[in-house]
Amino acid sequence: MATLEVKDLHVSIKEEKETREILKGVNLTMNTGEIHAIMGPNGTGKSTLSQTIMGNGAYHVTQGDVLLNGESILGMPVDERARKGLFLAMQYPAEIQGVTNAEFLRAAINARRPEDDQISVMAFLKELDKNLSLLDMSEQMTERYLNEGFSGGEKKRNEILQLLMIKPSFALLDEIDSGLDIDALQVVSKGVNSLRGDNFGSLIITHYQRLLNYIVPDVVHVMMDGRIVKSGDADLAKKLEKEGYAGLRDELGLKVSLVDDNR
Amino acid sequence: MISAVQDYEAIKTAVETAANEHGEPHWFVERRLAAIDAMQDLALPEMKRYDFHRWPLMDNMELNFRRSDKSLADGLPKAKNQIRFVQVGQTTVAVDLPDELADQGVILTDIFSAFREHPRLTEKYFMEKVTNYKENKLTAYQQAFLNAGVFLYVPKGVEIKRPIEAYLIQDSTVKQPMVSHVLIIAEENSQFSFIQHLNTKGDEANAAHCMVEVLSRANSHVHFSSVDELGEHTYSFLHRRANLSRNARFDWAIGIVNDQNTLGDITSELIGEGAHSESKVIAVTTGKQSNGINNRVVNRGKHTTANISQRGVLLEKSELIFNGIGNIIHGASGANAEQENRVLMMSDHAHGDANPILLIDEDDVIAGHAASVGQVDQNQLYYLMSRGIDKELAQRLVIRGFLGPVLEEIPLPEVRQEMIDVIERKLEDGQHFN
Ligand SMILES: Nc1ncnc2c1ncn2[C@@H]1O[C@H](COP(=O)(O)OP(=O)(O)OP(=O)(O)O)[C@@H](O)[C@H]1O
Ligand SMILES: [Mg+2]
Repeated sequence: MATLEVKDLHVSIKEEKETREILKGVNLTMNTGEIHAIMGPNGTGKSTLSQTIMGNGAYHVTQGDVLLNGESILGMPVDERARKGLFLAMQYPAEIQGVTNAEFLRAAINARRPEDDQISVMAFLKELDKNLSLLDMSEQMTERYLNEGFSGGEKKRNEILQLLMIKPSFALLDEIDSGLDIDALQVVSKGVNSLRGDNFGSLIITHYQRLLNYIVPDVVHVMMDGRIVKSGDADLAKKLEKEGYAGLRDELGLKVSLVDDNR
Repeated sequence: MISAVQDYEAIKTAVETAANEHGEPHWFVERRLAAIDAMQDLALPEMKRYDFHRWPLMDNMELNFRRSDKSLADGLPKAKNQIRFVQVGQTTVAVDLPDELADQGVILTDIFSAFREHPRLTEKYFMEKVTNYKENKLTAYQQAFLNAGVFLYVPKGVEIKRPIEAYLIQDSTVKQPMVSHVLIIAEENSQFSFIQHLNTKGDEANAAHCMVEVLSRANSHVHFSSVDELGEHTYSFLHRRANLSRNARFDWAIGIVNDQNTLGDITSELIGEGAHSESKVIAVTTGKQSNGINNRVVNRGKHTTANISQRGVLLEKSELIFNGIGNIIHGASGANAEQENRVLMMSDHAHGDANPILLIDEDDVIAGHAASVGQVDQNQLYYLMSRGIDKELAQRLVIRGFLGPVLEEIPLPEVRQEMIDVIERKLEDGQHFN
């Protein structure tokens, strides 16, 4: 079993003149075998949390720690964190011309293997075919340049394809459902569910309860203004869907302004 | 450089003797001598914002012919049906031209055989129609000391499906410059592509003068690519020019991946109405090397289209200057000239520049340019690394993407792969020192 712990995490970003604190003390522990969901209003720091765990240099940790199996990963570069078992499906994946999807996937797999034991072409293609068919993707997608010219939905599917090929211990999925049609939502969910098991954990950031009907979470966290303000089981998401964030805020007596209040 | 005290008469006598012993036709020996005379007064070519005056390009003023060891060409890829010309130093190792093409009148032979066997074509075209020895000191040197090269003639209406490949290998196991010439004549309505591979074998310090002259006749369709991979002791001057007649299409796709200083001068002259040229160049520089590259298109004819696209990557302490020169001559109405020059700086100690130079003497034209000097896209790098790929490989992949638009132009997949491999190797070497 692997464990990912976020302890009293404070994160700032540098803006033109000053630095702004986005995360104001996040605490979270998850183990493989568990699916956690994070919900919360726009701009509360959900993506910031996932990017900070992955190691994006734009986010500066000012306090607290992130531990993978008890070891702090804050000093590690992004690629090392990835090889240790973290994966982030990004809200806005980059496009890279000139590098085919297949070649990229092979490089990612081989990065995890010793130099004298790189994956064979046959084994790679077999695994690729299996996952392509699971995700209803055409083989052609793998010969195209990485994400270049992919539609929004195709990019999301491609993130899940990478997830299935790489098989990390922990997957952070940032709005993997946004922009997906209903069929694609089911396909993507099927992909994530296929990894469910003792050796896989996932932190799913979403705005929509619907995704959680397909990927049923063990724990749901609500994030507001840079903190996790409430955690519960799958029912919490349903309750939120009905009552909105304002209800929860008032119930908890928080002084947080929501975008809706400005209407 | 030629010092004032050098005795030109003595050089002429020596060259004349060597050329005669080599069995060259009288007209060509005369041209050599005229070129030596001209050299004395000619200046080096002009290159904006770039100084190469102290490079050892013309230290050697001798003409020698010697056999090279054919085994220096061992290990070249050999595919079935390949059309190819292989030359090591001055020694032609292989000429593979299918009979059916020879029967149609296609000529593929070394340049000196061409002088003897096809004087009607070569006397008229060698440095007469496209380039000229009187342009500058280096072109005069070319004609005076020519010692290697290839001639390709494709008659009217002949279409060649498979690219023609020329492997021109500099023999630097001995002290001797490479002064090589590729002369290509594409007659009306002909269609073919030509791939040149430049390599160096041996560790002697020698200059390389590699000229390419292409005459693209009306409605011909020619694609020229080159993988330039000259060695670390070779200072080079790569002079390449194509003249396009009416409705001709001629494209360059050139990868300059040499390991020493290189002066590149690439020109498309669009003379006939409706001619079209795409001029694509990539360059990768490492160590302390310096590359200066002029990529020039000249719109002379009406409704001509000429686009330049250049991409360069700099590592370590290297220098790379791209000048994109778009010249639209008065009367070339309806001309179109776009250019894009981009360099990617992989090191704080490198020096790169991308200069668009537009010289337009006609109103009714469309011309534009884009230039940039930038760093690797951090977002792309982060994305690749977030999948576990280490920083160096991630950088190389992003660079490959950056060079992609030119790489894609290379017609043979195996040559494209060769170019990618060469670039990758060079990047890897450069990264280790960063
Ligand atoms: N790289 C960045 N540069 C500048 N500001 C940033 C950056 N990343 C995040 N922010 C700011 O931090 C705050 C939190 O952003 P974040 O993307 O984490 O929110 P989120 O909870 O993911 O929102 P959403 O639901 O809209 O995706 C926002 O105010 C955002 O503008
Ligand atoms: Mg977000």
